[in-house]
Amino acid sequence: MRNINILLKNKLLSIGALILLVFPLFIESRYIIHATMMVFIFASMAVAWNIIGGYGAQISWGHASFFAIGAYASFLMFLKLNVSPLISIFLGMVLSVILAIIVGYPSFRLRGVYFSLATIAFAEIVKLLLLYFQEFTGGANGLMLPFKGQNPLNLQFNSVVPYYYISFLLMGIIIFLTWKLENSRLGYFLKAIKEDEDAAESLGIKAYQVKLIAFIISAAMMAAIGTIYAFNIAYIDPVGVAHLDLSIKIGAIAIVGGVGTLWGPVIGAFIIVPLTEITNALLGSTRGGASTALYGLVLMVVIIFQPKGVIEFFNGKRKKTKNNSVKASI
Amino acid sequence: MSWLMGQSVINGLLIGGVYALIAVGLTIIFGVMKIVNFAQGEFLMVGMYATWLLFSAIGGSPYLLIIPVAFIMFIFGWLVYKILVNPVVGKGDTSYILLTIGLSFFLQNAAQLIWTADYHTVETSLKGQALQLGGLSILVPRLIAFAVAIILVAIVHLFLKKTDIGRAMRATAENSEVSSMLGINPITTYAIAFAIGTVLAGIAGTLLTPMFYVFPRVGALFTTTAFVVVVLGGLGNITGALLGGLLIGLVEAFTGSFIALDLAPVGTFIVFLLVLLLKPEGLFGGGARKA
Amino acid sequence: MKKVFKVFTLVLVVTFLASIVLSGCASKETGSSSESKEKVVKIAFLNPLSGHNADAGQQDLNAAKLAVEHINAAGGIKALDGAKVELIVSDTTSDPTQAQSVAERTLSSHKVAGVVGTGISGLTLPILPVAEKHQVPIITNSISNDITNQGYKYVFEPVPKGSMFGDTQVEFLKALNKDFGLGIKKVAVVYENSAYGVSTAKGVKERAEAAGLEVVINQSYPQGFTDASSLVTAVKQSGAEAVFPVAYTTDAKLIINTMKSMNYDPLIIGGGAGFLWPAMGRELGENINGLVSVASWNWDSKHISEDPELAKIPEAYEEKFGEFMTEHAGPTYSFVWMLKEAMEKTGSSDPKVLRDALAEMEITSGPASLMQPGKVKFESDGWNKYAHPVMIQWQDNKPRTIYPIEDASVKMITPNK
Repeated sequence: MRNINILLKNKLLSIGALILLVFPLFIESRYIIHATMMVFIFASMAVAWNIIGGYGAQISWGHASFFAIGAYASFLMFLKLNVSPLISIFLGMVLSVILAIIVGYPSFRLRGVYFSLATIAFAEIVKLLLLYFQEFTGGANGLMLPFKGQNPLNLQFNSVVPYYYISFLLMGIIIFLTWKLENSRLGYFLKAIKEDEDAAESLGIKAYQVKLIAFIISAAMMAAIGTIYAFNIAYIDPVGVAHLDLSIKIGAIAIVGGVGTLWGPVIGAFIIVPLTEITNALLGSTRGGASTALYGLVLMVVIIFQPKGVIEFFNGKRKKTKNNSVKASI
Repeated sequence: MSWLMGQSVINGLLIGGVYALIAVGLTIIFGVMKIVNFAQGEFLMVGMYATWLLFSAIGGSPYLLIIPVAFIMFIFGWLVYKILVNPVVGKGDTSYILLTIGLSFFLQNAAQLIWTADYHTVETSLKGQALQLGGLSILVPRLIAFAVAIILVAIVHLFLKKTDIGRAMRATAENSEVSSMLGINPITTYAIAFAIGTVLAGIAGTLLTPMFYVFPRVGALFTTTAFVVVVLGGLGNITGALLGGLLIGLVEAFTGSFIALDLAPVGTFIVFLLVLLLKPEGLFGGGARKA
Repeated sequence: MKKVFKVFTLVLVVTFLASIVLSGCASKETGSSSESKEKVVKIAFLNPLSGHNADAGQQDLNAAKLAVEHINAAGGIKALDGAKVELIVSDTTSDPTQAQSVAERTLSSHKVAGVVGTGISGLTLPILPVAEKHQVPIITNSISNDITNQGYKYVFEPVPKGSMFGDTQVEFLKALNKDFGLGIKKVAVVYENSAYGVSTAKGVKERAEAAGLEVVINQSYPQGFTDASSLVTAVKQSGAEAVFPVAYTTDAKLIINTMKSMNYDPLIIGGGAGFLWPAMGRELGENINGLVSVASWNWDSKHISEDPELAKIPEAYEEKFGEFMTEHAGPTYSFVWMLKEAMEKTGSSDPKVLRDALAEMEITSGPASLMQPGKVKFESDGWNKYAHPVMIQWQDNKPRTIYPIEDASVKMITPNK
């Protein structure tokens, strides 16, 4: 039974992947390709967030900081030293890991809501510092990436299609790594901590260490996504990449899709991102505010009717999960 | 220098009173229901719009509108609880957070839909008034907000200690299962706590109208600061919220005056993190260590 | 419960799929229909209508709609057989990521002659590469210096650059010192830490120092702060006799009211934005009269008030929307007309042709010349070489142009002190 399920899942998966792979060949609209690419980017972020927020049940509202670190590191390396983003992406990840340790080291001594609020505070500090050190970061003016002609080494292309595939690949790598992680010792430890942190500790699991490692992995992924995203949009500023709204959006996508599951965040991205696009397209021109109001409404409706996320709908038929997984903490 | 010191203390205490006012409502809701309300800033905004609408209709001093606004906000809070919050009770903290985030998006943009993004003014002669004290200025609207914050904290304190509903709320806050066995209906208690938290946000809104424009995003100015204040004071601790507000006001004023204005919020967050790490139950105790 | 949820999910999935199909169709449809049927020329309007910049975006939208109304009422585009102009309105939101997506959507699904917008530099910058790739001219009222120094071919910036504001403000102060004998030497520059604040304040500081003034305080503050007392305390302490504040609406209100209550009465030379928006006039009532500020454009500058054809435009705007035409609205109105002029000249609605026409045009009359100072000629980088800011003073609850003299419509009253 289990095997059939996996097979079925994989079949679905390969069909889905295949469709997405050939998709740009048949679609002319740059916008559709661009929007689908944004789905990949947000899916990648939500999956990365889910490692600590879902499996570890440590809800972070500051993940935009790591994204911003990746974006700023690669931009500055490129603008000041002309270093290819393919190299500086790793620098961004290293810096992000350092920040994750700085944030995580003290914060993981806190539980539940206190941890969440600490991540907000750290993220606000990162944003304010990016604004404050104007000479270096460009401050509120942001940084603009000049187009130096098509060059894969600089991740600059004339067409939107290469970015489509880059983002798709990135999402694939992140999902794969997360899948590996889910089935590793670390994954089991995280699940144990999520169920009952005290019990897990009494079994000899070093909860603090496990959470920190998961946080570091998640942060490194965020930085990589930040680099790719920044070179695509070619303009970054603290409000755009380090804002609380972005952190919230990442978390919301994962929660709407279903936390603590591999595919939940991906499903969340495939719902939330198109939803914001559609509501903006349909309602944006009539009267300001309608589209975001509807977005808020959808978040509420999903939570009221299916707090475990949309993925429950897909799982519901096959198995009734008896755990109270989402209950753990915010 | 001493003038700067003195003025900074006054600046800090006065804005601190405003922060305390906003934080008290937040901490009541947390204390009883153990949920963090991300829409508290938007409740404040709703209170400001209620004040502005009443003011446009009947005029007079905005301060006299506190009672009707409080009444409107109670009904508003009660409805929000019954329709939105109650269905997710017991479904985990993640649900609460996302629900209230969704609510804040909704309220903010619904306000823009209805009243546009325009800025509205509630006129009062007290607006630019200040008391002069040996060269130091004390802004009257802020002084009023400060005084009301203290009075409200005292009233809420008495309410919790002396009335049956208040005692029921405290019992539910301690342990909802035991209290429901004692015949206290937790749902009603939650609804009352939520509505009172909303009323306090609304009163804060009325008191802020002489200082701030009424516009859809006004609540967002205060959201993060309110969280910081509530945690500093100890989640659920009402007197703590007052003291936390004053403390944050002072930290902001001194960072702003003596280090850099841009870094004033950084000062706030650093104090916040220090308290979280060294004394997670809050400076003034009473906060639950686990959520 | 389960059933409700299933239906709900189903609806979501269906809308997602439908949207793909629909937008796919939309892009094809526009490709074919532009030939047949009644002639319509589309102009894209991109500006924030939600989020924290929504108020500016709404002013832009009002103006653009009015311009389209006027053009169509006057017979549309004559060189294109009286084709009507249709405004494609899109809400960029106040989020740069979303703005880029929205621009991409608008330009992919509509065949437009040109783009008008945005008024916010942080939103325009991510849109520029999109316009460039679609080869559609974009006329913007963002004032950042970065708009025209990125080498983009399709961008046009008819408004003065942020760095020029300081020049005008300092020259104005020098003139005041001379005419009124104020003898001001110490000045303070305070500005919000935003793209707008940073780029304008930098110019003020440099010009003031070059003019021999002593900048006793040069301080930025976080945008959307809740308390101006620390700021005002610091400025008062510094002994500045004139203050150059750059602030948006809410912050400007806090600063002005706090100064008043602290008995601090310097000469205020506002840095545009919050100091000349209608909300400020309503807030201060009578007390606003006398307040001066720099402005990238003003509704009664001389070239407008002395030209009956142009003077009708701000009047029509005020009649329709109940407030004077703001520095956001005026330029946007003229941008729509600039695209119209380009179409009249070339007899084409092909954006590439229009881009070249705009690059060569010199505008000196007609509604497109509403832009200050009544003349438009783009340099090779897309910037209007004639553009310069003006100084306004609030008189009778409206901002009136007072400086430089060649743009002034009224005489200055004693500055607000």
